[in-house]
Amino acid sequence: MRKVIGRVSFLLIMMLVLGACSSDNSSSEGSAGEGDGSGKKVTAWAWNINVPVLEEAAKKFKEENPDFELEVVELGREDVYSKLTTGLQTGGKGLPDIILVEDDRVQGYMETFPDAFVNVSDKGFDESKDSFPTYKTELLSKDGAMYGFPFDGGPTGVFYRTDYFEEAGVNADDIKTWDDFIEAGKKIKDATGKAMLGLDLNGDDGLYRMMMTQQGTFYFDDEKNVNFTSEESKQASEKVKMMKEAGLVKDTVGWDAWISAMAQGEVATAPSGAWLSGSITQQAKDTEGNWGVFKLPAFEEDGNRASNLGGSNYVITSASNNQDLAYDFMEFFSTNDDVQLTAMDNGLFPTLNTIYENEAFTQEVSFFSNQPIWELFASEMNDIPSVNFTGNYAIASDESIKAQSEIMNGKKSIEEAYKAAEDRLKNRIQ
Amino acid sequence: MAKNLDVIEQTTNELTLAERQQKKPKRKKKKLKAVWMYTLLSIFLVVSIFPFYWMFIGATNDSSKMFTNPPTLLPGDQFMTNLTNLNESIGIFRVLFNSLFVSGLYVVIALAVCASAAYVLAKYNFKGKKFIFTAFLLSMMIPYQATLIPLFQMMSDFNLLNTYFAVIAPQLCFPFAIFLLRQNFLAFPTELMESARLDGASETRIFISIVIPSMRPALAAASIFLFMTQWNNFMWPLVVLNTNDMYTFPVALSSLMGLSYIDYGQVMMGVTLATVPIIAFFLTLQKQFISGMLGSALK
Repeated sequence: MRKVIGRVSFLLIMMLVLGACSSDNSSSEGSAGEGDGSGKKVTAWAWNINVPVLEEAAKKFKEENPDFELEVVELGREDVYSKLTTGLQTGGKGLPDIILVEDDRVQGYMETFPDAFVNVSDKGFDESKDSFPTYKTELLSKDGAMYGFPFDGGPTGVFYRTDYFEEAGVNADDIKTWDDFIEAGKKIKDATGKAMLGLDLNGDDGLYRMMMTQQGTFYFDDEKNVNFTSEESKQASEKVKMMKEAGLVKDTVGWDAWISAMAQGEVATAPSGAWLSGSITQQAKDTEGNWGVFKLPAFEEDGNRASNLGGSNYVITSASNNQDLAYDFMEFFSTNDDVQLTAMDNGLFPTLNTIYENEAFTQEVSFFSNQPIWELFASEMNDIPSVNFTGNYAIASDESIKAQSEIMNGKKSIEEAYKAAEDRLKNRIQ
Repeated sequence: MAKNLDVIEQTTNELTLAERQQKKPKRKKKKLKAVWMYTLLSIFLVVSIFPFYWMFIGATNDSSKMFTNPPTLLPGDQFMTNLTNLNESIGIFRVLFNSLFVSGLYVVIALAVCASAAYVLAKYNFKGKKFIFTAFLLSMMIPYQATLIPLFQMMSDFNLLNTYFAVIAPQLCFPFAIFLLRQNFLAFPTELMESARLDGASETRIFISIVIPSMRPALAAASIFLFMTQWNNFMWPLVVLNTNDMYTFPVALSSLMGLSYIDYGQVMMGVTLATVPIIAFFLTLQKQFISGMLGSALK
């Protein structure tokens, strides 16, 4: 009996000891993650390709501020939002000083949690406002003040296979409107048998979003009203439908299938953000030298050819105890040319416009048939219209994809599908 | 897991076939049937093993090979490269240690908690017993999303964020394990307990020296289940852990998923490594596990 009690209590004690030492050493390491402002240390959350940029910036910042220390916690992109939402729900607990948030999410957080992020205009960031495109600064503004630092952008273009275009006798320079694009697609299909582009018709509406932005609007108009039944929406959807009906679309379900279609040479083009270049160069190594880029076709001759897809921004959390230091570092990070050029090396397209004259932008890129593609993307930046993502972006996107799927499967006409989607969305927003 | 189920399925099939053959000596027809049976089983075998094989292919090849047509079906020579890259990205040893430590500790404590709870619910009579048991079962219906934020708030109030303890604490009392163990404890002969009592054994002693040893198979089954639950646990560790050196395997793997560029070589290598301990754990307890299943079947 005694023996047993002895054994049990020994076990219990072991557990307690183990538990205690595990929480001991971890809490000392973990304190930084809770942003308790221990002197000169700043913590940041970001996902993979952004980490080297932050670290490089920290190294440079340290030259002036020797005590400064940056801890980057590497997270998956979606995981950042899970943690950020949980933290904000509980009043900022466990949040770091700096967080990377994408364009399409940031307004949602600013609306749902108005006090979540630090007003950077108050701290003097307005001085640097002109160094960024308006669509970015407006995205981060609320009541005339900015709540974040613009970082990378996704100026759009059509990535295309130069060899297929040549084989079909199509000149990329002649594609000026979406109608030209569809005509070219037909020629390429006849000559090479390849689809013009891959789209996830039932799962993503990226092309529709690019087309909406291109026309200066989005799921929501300037007054934040649902915009599905607008003329712009109809035009965009019509073009996508025409592509589908002309047999130019390869249905690629999900991101991997889309990239895979490019790697295997099954599609001739991919309209997307500048960041796609990174994926193509990495995943489709065999096709080096057979790619080029032209700007998104316009809706009418001489119409706007600039648009945006994706991009991200840094914010400072109000829960941070080290806001001033975090601000100083982020201001340095955002406006330092050398730091932003490091971003280029990691496949990110900086929105800081003071660096566009740099050699990194004017150089010819061998993967893309020696075309200076970065120059092309940079030239779009000032023409990208600002649009309203609002806090309802996620559910709007959901409804938009449903509508697109109904149209492409021939279940409903464009008008019917978007009217229904608009009604459903209004119902969900209340 | 699926693989082992196949094995069990196969053995039971063999048994029934043998039995039938004894009864009806229509051998030819039976043989033909067996051929069909084995063809079908082989198909299932391939279907269940192929994902693992594909994972291994991915782990030994360059990321771009995942997208070629026709697909790469042979192991490549990038095993070491992927391993080194993965180690640079997430620090394999630290992450493996975290996961093993958290899961191991969890199994030990949770098993102790759940077994005691199950024993009481199975073998003692007291007021409110049914209510407590129903409450346990009903709590299985609460989705974890609903408890995520309150639990996070609690951990933060206790100052436990970013600790191993925070990872395992909320699930220590695991309703399904309690249910599983209770059903098994019910089958334990009460007479044995009574005679032990007559011999002067205390209640604790009965539980530890008499009931527990004969319940090994059930405990093995429960611990495999608990281990897997904790090993694969993603959302909760993600939310409570705040530094890369505290990450468990699933959380660290997820940090490889960025925006546009994902190195599948690293991801597949990581998944391969994450599968090994589960297989090892299962193989160690397999004997107990299967003898438990057969044992209860023969009763």
